[in-house]
Amino acid sequence: MQHALILVGVLIAGMGLSVEAGLLGPLGEQVGHLSATLSIFMVGALLLSLALLFSPKRQLGALFKQPRWLLTGGVMGPIYVIILTLATPLVGVGMTMVGILRGQVAASLAIDHFGWLGSERRQVDGYRLGALAMILAALWLM
Amino acid sequence: MLLPIVFALLLAGGAVLAAQSSINGRLGAHTGVLESAWLTFAVGAVLTFLLMFFFEPSHEATLFSVPKWQLTGALFGVVYMLAIVFAVPRVGTAAATVAVISGQLLMSLLIDHFGWLNNAERALDGSRYLAMVLLLLAIVLIYLSHRRSARPAS
Repeated sequence: MQHALILVGVLIAGMGLSVEAGLLGPLGEQVGHLSATLSIFMVGALLLSLALLFSPKRQLGALFKQPRWLLTGGVMGPIYVIILTLATPLVGVGMTMVGILRGQVAASLAIDHFGWLGSERRQVDGYRLGALAMILAALWLM
Repeated sequence: MLLPIVFALLLAGGAVLAAQSSINGRLGAHTGVLESAWLTFAVGAVLTFLLMFFFEPSHEATLFSVPKWQLTGALFGVVYMLAIVFAVPRVGTAAATVAVISGQLLMSLLIDHFGWLNNAERALDGSRYLAMVLLLLAIVLIYLSHRRSARPAS
């Protein structure tokens, strides 16, 4: 039951991501894609800095005791944005999103299946392949 | 010749997103959700600033001259990052990714249907309704898979 709630929460967060993309696209056309992206990261970093400052249990120091590769999550956002900016004018928005989503779903299944990046192993089973097929079918229908 | 390269790049871009969820989830489990999300945004801001500073061609409009509501995207980005960092250690990268994608696609169908955010209206038709049903089914399947694999362990 708890897992169902978490999944619903993530679903809603995903809906928010579409709103973000809907705002970011036109903004990028006006001020430049890197500036638009900067506004997201900058405002996000500032808001979270405030939240951290007043959070009851902050352990920022723990970040620096982690293995370095665990700190690379922030590098990947800009890589993603650069790929998006390069590809969209060449192949169009639709094709770009399909390619990104495919890579995302395939990699996430592989990460769980093989336990890469230190994550817990979760075997790919019929249900998961079914879910993958439905997403691909939905993409094709849209 | 260019197309296969672009498509490979796009697949890599998607894979990078999945890797980011996984790495951030792992980091969050060690240090806390807020700390992990903060690091992602802070490092992202530093890198994007450097890129913008040196590579962005100049535009007529700036971030300071556009209407303010166009700058609210970060609020959604922060909620998303917090949700992902919280969810990945608990439900796995694939389940979280499928839930995020389903949410994204459902919302984009709604945005199109109602023409929100100054987008052109594109009404839901039969095939788009079917797409929505499939997306919800995908979530249910991931949930079932999770429940089945969790049972022997507990």
